[in-house]
Parts: sequence; structure tokens; C-alpha cells
Amino acid sequence: MRGTLAVYQKELSTYFRSPIAYYVVVFLTGETTMAGTLQNMGILLLTLAPVISMRLFSAEYGAGTAELLLTLPLTPWQIVLGKYLGAVTILLLISVGTVVDLVPLYIFGTPETTTILAGYIGFVLLGMACLAVGELFSVLTHNQIVAALITAAVLLGFWFVGHLQDFQRSDVLRSLVGYLSFARHFTDFIQGLVRTDGVAFYLVVSAVALTLSASYLQWRR
Amino acid sequence: MSLPPAAIVLESVSKRYGSRTIIRDVSFTVGHGEIVGFLGPNGAGKTTTMRLIAGFTAATTGRVTVAGYDMATDNVEAARRIGYQPERPPLYDTLDVSAYLRFVAKVKGVRRAALAGEIERVTAACHLEAVVRQEIYKLSKGYRQRLGLAQALLGSPEVLLLDEPTAGLDPAQIQETREVIRDFGRSHAVLLSTHILAEATLICQRVAIIHHGRLLAIDSPSGLQRAIAQTNRVSLQVTALAGELRAELLSVKGVTAVSMLPPDRDGQLTVECQVDVGHGIEAAIARAVAARWDLHRLERQAPTLENIFLQYVADRPNGSEPA
Repeated sequence: MRGTLAVYQKELSTYFRSPIAYYVVVFLTGETTMAGTLQNMGILLLTLAPVISMRLFSAEYGAGTAELLLTLPLTPWQIVLGKYLGAVTILLLISVGTVVDLVPLYIFGTPETTTILAGYIGFVLLGMACLAVGELFSVLTHNQIVAALITAAVLLGFWFVGHLQDFQRSDVLRSLVGYLSFARHFTDFIQGLVRTDGVAFYLVVSAVALTLSASYLQWRR
Repeated sequence: MSLPPAAIVLESVSKRYGSRTIIRDVSFTVGHGEIVGFLGPNGAGKTTTMRLIAGFTAATTGRVTVAGYDMATDNVEAARRIGYQPERPPLYDTLDVSAYLRFVAKVKGVRRAALAGEIERVTAACHLEAVVRQEIYKLSKGYRQRLGLAQALLGSPEVLLLDEPTAGLDPAQIQETREVIRDFGRSHAVLLSTHILAEATLICQRVAIIHHGRLLAIDSPSGLQRAIAQTNRVSLQVTALAGELRAELLSVKGVTAVSMLPPDRDGQLTVECQVDVGHGIEAAIARAVAARWDLHRLERQAPTLENIFLQYVADRPNGSEPA
């Protein structure tokens, strides 16, 4: 636990000493005012999550610090989890930042708080899945830009994979493609539906990606 | 009554990456309170061996044991007892020096109450006091190198692995760093790699010579010198005629070959004799030469570590099996 915490703290202090975190936070908070909907926030997240996650491991390989991190008394899981929690914290800060945009909504109207809350839960869960996938590609490559581009490509693929439903004849494939769609589950959330399978879907995606990351670190020795 | 196990034990360790074999069947040990130097040209496998011991990579075959822990299965437990300075200082540029050291100390399990004292100790030992509050990216190369050493010293690990610890330092800093290593080595096991032979002779009790991933020899610097001295040379300066001198020298028992440079302006010859094993050869040569000519200088050349190293490397090209 202590090891995970130390990695987590180190992650946060390196984030906030580099411009990326500020850029991401400011960009997203500013953007939602214009976009106005959580749907757009979701799509934006697909391109911004890779920017947060790309440096998680690629930067360590590049700077030679991976050799330190992987020879300190830390298990692969402690490293992967500490870094992941650091990235998720940035995501939460972004989410909190966007709350500012709700102020005029509450002053000039009467929005449905539960729907908004459900949307935020979906936003955070989607972000968690994106960051876990991003961490996996960061573990796999030494180049941050490559990590970001592959992550963005994969996330966009998962987002739009639902559209393939129309081309599937078999029901099994159709429902599988639908189930894999990041967008479909997210749409449920922003409509106010917090469904178990939606929550489980994002959590399972995160868990699988994190497990693969930790396993890769173990295997690469 | 059993001896305490050695701090570092390598048993027939090999490392392959795909079809390339980086380390072949290397075995050696480093005891507590011992400084062992790891000597080899660039690309000999020094860094890979260091990484195997540090747990950054795992051996393909063979066994690495550090502080009694098998690195294949208990590497995290072993890591608590290892301080490792990789060849390139593993520094987070955006952190400041004290935040960096605090991070490493915490992960190494230094208690919260002892944290400040421990950081103070290593910064003082590595002469980093002046830059404690500075961001790492602002540090000069010498400071970066010493910060890499400082993090390795945190928590007083049983085993210290230093991959070229004095690279990039100025002469005064090299002196200070060697002092730190020597101090630490009195009570801990230290393995340091270097391609500077003088460094190995100065601070190491034993020197391991590695080439093409194979361990060629491991012994004390003087032991290595003795081993090579057996085929060593006697050099002399004599005023004489070359042909006669050559014949005379070859008639001395034990002299196997004679080579000489052309005479200088004063007619002095510089001669090198290849001699056999045994004592008293210098005296026999001196007697034979001095009886007929002016002998200006005669000495048995003690091999420098440099010679030893070159000899070992030259004897076994391309990692072929030693005879």
C-alpha cells in the first residue's frame, strides 16, 4: 500500500510540474461551456485521455527512470496502480472543473440533478476505462507520441464500433459489437440511466487493461 | 559453524535476447564488506550483468541470489536490500532533489520519522547540499551523477550496485565519489563496473574481467598481476652492438625471445626480453650483460592492470571457449 501511495504521490507531483495537466484541465473546462453536452465531453475525453496517459510509462522508459522504478521494492501491480490512480485523480479534477459550467444552469433553470449526476458517473467511468487502455499502450511503447496515437485510435474504435451493428447479420455479433461500444454505454448514463452492465463494462475494461499492463511488466523481465 | 552467505551469488548465469547471447555462463560471488570491480570494454555485458543482479531483467538460465533471495522469485524482497545506480542516472527532471530522494526513500521503506535524517545523510555524503531545493533538470552532469549515487545509498542497502559511478565527473568529484564508495564498502557488499582500470585497482579488493559476456578472471588486482607476471618481460638499456647482445641474451637460461629498438644517438639499445617463469632471471641477465657492456637500466616490468586486461581479452577473441 505504501509503495502504491508513494508512486501515486510522485505521479501527481510530476503531472503538476509539467504543463500537460494544466492544458488538459483548462481545455476541457473551457470547452464544455461551448459544447454544452456531456456527449461532447465524452468524445473529447477520447482524445484527451491519451494525452494524460501517454507519459505514464513511455516517459519513464525515455528518461531511464524505468530502470529505477522496476528495481525498487515495488510489485508490477503497485507501479501500475499507483500510476493509474494518479491519472484518475487528474480525471476527477477535470470533472470537478466542469462543474463550474453547471452554475448558470442552476441559476437560470431547473435541471434534473439526477440525470446530471448519472452523466458525471458515466463520464468518470468512461474516463477510467480510457486511462487504463492508455496506460497499457504506454507500458508497451517507449515513445509517448506513439502511445498517445495508438490509444486514441483504439479508443475511437471502441467508441464507434457500435455503428458496425448495422452490418452484422448474426444476432450474436450484433449484440457483441453493441456491447463493446463505449458510446452506447455512455449514452445510457447521460440519459440518466446508471445500469449495472454499463458500470460493470467500464470497470471490466479498466481491470483487463491494468492486468495486461502489470503482466507485461512482469513478463518483460 | 557456517559462514554467512555471500551478498551476491551468480551461478552459471546466462542471458539471451532472442538469438543473441549477452551473458554466457557467468558465476561469481561478492561477500559482505567487499568491493568488487567489474571490468570490461563497452558492450562486454557489464550493464546486463548489473541489471540481472538488480532485478531489472531476469536470467535466461542460471540463478542470481542477492542477500539470500532468489531474484527469479523474491526480487521485490531482495530489492529492499539493493541500492542500484544505473549507468544513466534515473532522475525525474521535473522534481526537485529533495522530492526525488523522498520518493525513493519512501518506496525503499525508510520510516517517516527517519526520512529527513536519511536524506540529509546521503546528500552530505554525495556533496549535494547546495542543490537540495533545485529542480533536477537544472543540475549539471556531475550533480546528476552524484544524485544517482545518493538515491542508491538511501536506506543503507546491504548490496550496492554501481554502473560506472564516476563517469562524467571531474577529478575532484571522482576522488570524493571513490571515498564514499570505499567508506560504504567497509560494511556492505559493493559491485561496481568501470572501464577505468586505475579505479578498479584503487578501490576494489577483487576485480572481475568480463569480455563478450564471459567472465575471464576474478581475483585481487595483485593476484591478477601475479598470474600474468609469469609470461612477463624484462626490459633493459645497454650500450652494445645489437648482434652480439642478442646472442648473449638468448644464451641466458630462461630468456625466450629478444626484441630491440635501433640504437639512439649515444649508441644505447633499448631491449625487451621475453622471459620464462622463475626467480633470478633479472640477476642472470644483469650478470651476463654487465660483464661485457655498460648496463644503464634493467627492470622487470610488473604488468599494469591494463596489460592484464588486454592480455585476457587478446587471449580469448570473440568469446571462444577458453583453452
